[in-house]
Amino acid sequence: MQDILKNRYPVFIGVIILFFILYGIRVGTLQLSNNNYEQKAISNALNKITLYPARSIIYDRNGEILVKNYVVHDLFAFPKELKEENRSFVCDLLDIDTSTYNDLLLDAWVNSKKRQKNNSYNRSALFYSNLSQKQYSILRENLFRLDGFYIESRTDRSYNMTGGGHALGYLGEATELLLSSDEYYQPGDLVGITGIERYYEELMRGTKGIQTVWQDRTYVEKGKVEIDSFNISPISGPDFTSTLDIRLQKFAEELLENKKGSIVAIEPSSGEILAFINKPDYDPNLLVGKERGREFRKMLIDPQKPLYNRAVKGKYPPGSTVKTVLALIGMEEGVIHPGSLKGCGGGYRLGSIVVGCHGHSSPLDVTGSIRISCNSYYCDLFRQIIDNPKYGDVKKGYAVLEKHWRSFGLGNPTGIDLLGESSGNIPTVEQLDRRHGKHWRSSMVVSLGIGQGEMLLTPLQIANVAVIMANRGFYYPPHLIKKIRGVPDSIWKKTFKERKYTSVNRKHFDPVITGMSQVTVPGGTASGMNFGDIKICGKTGTAQNPHGKDHSLFIAFAPKINPKIAIGVIVENGGFGATFAAPIASLMIEKYLAPDSPISRPYLYERVTKTPITY
Amino acid sequence: MRYSTENIGTRNKLDFLAIILFILLVIIGFVNIYSVTSDVTQSGFHLSSIASRQLFWISGSALIILLISFSNVVLIDYLSYYIYGLIIILNIAVLFFGKEVGGARSWFGFGGIGIQPSEFAKFATAMALSKFLGGYGVKFKGWKNVSISIGIFFLPILLILLQNDTGSALVFFSFFLVLYREGLPGYFLLIAVWLGILSILSIYFNAVNLSLVYLYIIIAGIGSIFVYFLRKNRQLILLTVGIAVASMMYTGIVSFAYQTIFKQYQRDRIEIVMGLKQDSKGMGYNLEQSKIAIGAGRFSGRGFQEGTQTKMGFVPEQHTDFIFCTIGEEWGFIGVIGFFIIYLSLLLRLLFLAERQSNTQGRIFGYSACCILFFHWFINIGMTIGIIPVIGIPLPFISFGGSSLWGFTLLLFIFLRYDQVRRN
Repeated sequence: MQDILKNRYPVFIGVIILFFILYGIRVGTLQLSNNNYEQKAISNALNKITLYPARSIIYDRNGEILVKNYVVHDLFAFPKELKEENRSFVCDLLDIDTSTYNDLLLDAWVNSKKRQKNNSYNRSALFYSNLSQKQYSILRENLFRLDGFYIESRTDRSYNMTGGGHALGYLGEATELLLSSDEYYQPGDLVGITGIERYYEELMRGTKGIQTVWQDRTYVEKGKVEIDSFNISPISGPDFTSTLDIRLQKFAEELLENKKGSIVAIEPSSGEILAFINKPDYDPNLLVGKERGREFRKMLIDPQKPLYNRAVKGKYPPGSTVKTVLALIGMEEGVIHPGSLKGCGGGYRLGSIVVGCHGHSSPLDVTGSIRISCNSYYCDLFRQIIDNPKYGDVKKGYAVLEKHWRSFGLGNPTGIDLLGESSGNIPTVEQLDRRHGKHWRSSMVVSLGIGQGEMLLTPLQIANVAVIMANRGFYYPPHLIKKIRGVPDSIWKKTFKERKYTSVNRKHFDPVITGMSQVTVPGGTASGMNFGDIKICGKTGTAQNPHGKDHSLFIAFAPKINPKIAIGVIVENGGFGATFAAPIASLMIEKYLAPDSPISRPYLYERVTKTPITY
Repeated sequence: MRYSTENIGTRNKLDFLAIILFILLVIIGFVNIYSVTSDVTQSGFHLSSIASRQLFWISGSALIILLISFSNVVLIDYLSYYIYGLIIILNIAVLFFGKEVGGARSWFGFGGIGIQPSEFAKFATAMALSKFLGGYGVKFKGWKNVSISIGIFFLPILLILLQNDTGSALVFFSFFLVLYREGLPGYFLLIAVWLGILSILSIYFNAVNLSLVYLYIIIAGIGSIFVYFLRKNRQLILLTVGIAVASMMYTGIVSFAYQTIFKQYQRDRIEIVMGLKQDSKGMGYNLEQSKIAIGAGRFSGRGFQEGTQTKMGFVPEQHTDFIFCTIGEEWGFIGVIGFFIIYLSLLLRLLFLAERQSNTQGRIFGYSACCILFFHWFINIGMTIGIIPVIGIPLPFISFGGSSLWGFTLLLFIFLRYDQVRRN
């Protein structure tokens, strides 16, 4: 049979081959041209899981652990992928009801949007933090069927003591403000809120790592990406060595138990803070984990104000403790010399006003006035300094005094490595003008001479006076961190290594220090505070307080030669400086200088710890 | 001329080259299905896994081949209309008893296994059409023969459209290509191409909100040019004017249909392919992911089981309609070209075999097989590389699925069996 249509056969061949060539070209264009499809494919299937570094471990000055970490597990979710049928399982496991579940889901939605800002690959968000060990193990077993959920692990803090929180600080979840200002943080991250945790946050937090994983379209993990350039190992925060001495710290806590006040002990030769205690305070172990928020809110409304950091924020009249400073300034200004005698008739009379003084022999020189803490001597000296005819005007004279005071770190922040330190208050001329009118005279502000009136200092500033006395005229800004492993001191410690000199010449310190050394022996205001053959140089303070009983203050350093420790103690409403503050300081010094021997004066310890103060 | 006991040769074998190409394609299919569906996190071979199910379908396919090669060609020829009738009945039955999958009611469910009768309609229609046109003295001429021929493959089109499976229905238009070989005038296909161009233009004007008046002006302009050159011939002028007017009417009808009959998702698919719509989330997402997958393969591919686009579910239907993405992503340009060459070889081999048939029936069946396989390839690959709207039809021998594999196996091997008994 003849097939006249046979010529259509090649048409078929031609058309078919033509389309194969056209499609081949099209596929070639997709595959061989520069269109980033490979890159798009890779980024489609990747998820970057944050690897949280361990936060710095903090050791005390003798190498004992103060703060360490423990692992916590958080449940993360891809909100889009969560399955309705898993809800009741998750609710039961986490012990939450449906409405809480929905709230958590909503939060996760919001946070997942925010999180994308920093990590475009990852659309997940924190769903539930701090899983219990049981929840964690059950979840891990069931994760394969809980679409859209996964677990991330990070660390939280564990403290080796029940106090000291005001120095160490606490962690909290990153605030909105921080999240918007610092790209490093993601919702749910823990950051230092106060204390050295806050001050050294950027070092302590370490550096987050990234583990890139393959994930399918429903965000189920399909294994790790083992290409090095896709992964970053987390870098733990470097080990911190604190200046604190944990034994001294714990001892201070015992001594201040059931009282209100502060103890700050500093190594004079370095400015290193050996103990830093406020009461009331809180157990730092309460501000971790799941209950952090609730405990924090409880503390916030507690009338005892456990979160209040008295040592750097509290303002107290320093009372007689700053007579030591005024004596030095008097000698520097040349209005007195070590042998200058002043009489005292049981008080200082200013017309109708009498600044009372206790009975003591009269007249006294500089050393004696410190030993006895004579009010008349310092009222008179104060007026001598600011009424100095050399300056012609009381305000000019006062300005000179103010400058001297400020050189002792009074009225200015000491520069401690804590944020929010108060300056205390050394009144300026303007402030006195406002208070007393333009035409005030020395007699009207004389209480400043005995550490009262408008003069207010923080416990840290008061302790720092003891440091200056011990060093005979200089101090280092007090600080809580001694060493950061792997970080050279030159990077972070410069300011703490800078000597701050007072405006008083070193040669004037001798008579004052001699007076301080006599305070603790019979005839002094705090006799019987020495122990063994250690000589404690101290100065009592009894600060009048409009709200109640006098505050008990004591500054001290020891030993007299080559001092190892300087200390400032304030016990609110503790009465005379010798009643509480002096014995506490003495016991602290003993504990520091002879840490391993038993307390040589148990009766003193008993009296201090067992005598309650009613507030 | 018909198949009868007298006129069949017996010394030939089933065409070796076609079988080799078939086996290669099935292996390519299995390897890619295995690659894209295997779970890296689980080891071992699971009976329930998609790859092992495909292995089951392949075994069934081998059984079909055995059955065909041992069965009597005369019987096959005799059964042509009956098989066609049976398949048509199944395609009607599925409208009532089928289960709905993805909007289409085209599946019978038996336990865990689904059978799609429309997949079997292809070879059955080929059998019926070739038997009819291969009959003694039957030519593709005269309104009666022409309408019966066209009716044979329009009946399944109608039924499959009722099953709401537009893609599968479209495949039957490949029989027009077969008819072209059998004498359908060439201008029919030219008209089809012209209508295609007009359709695209009409949809384009609709999609960009341009008035059809501009399209009419263009058509009138082209017509005027023709009229100018043909001004000597009054008849041709009339023809040109007639074509122009018909074209305008046609675009109007398409435009109307596009606005009223087409569903929104269909309009979206079309407009995305035309590049008129940017949609990286919904419809366009699938298309974009499909292109990314193929593009990511680069020259030599990302390697067996390394295609994240396909393996991790970014490409939809990655083991069925979009299986080509896996070939593209994991085997790269090299793999695609290799696959194309094998597939093209099979098509050309089928043409060659069809042309050497001693009777019309065999030739028509061969052309049917070739055109159906070509049409499937054309639509399926065109969809994955983004030049044809998403139309869900399988890639023969490659895509996962029992009905399609068995349907294509029947189509191919019944023809190879016809070829085996041809008279030299």
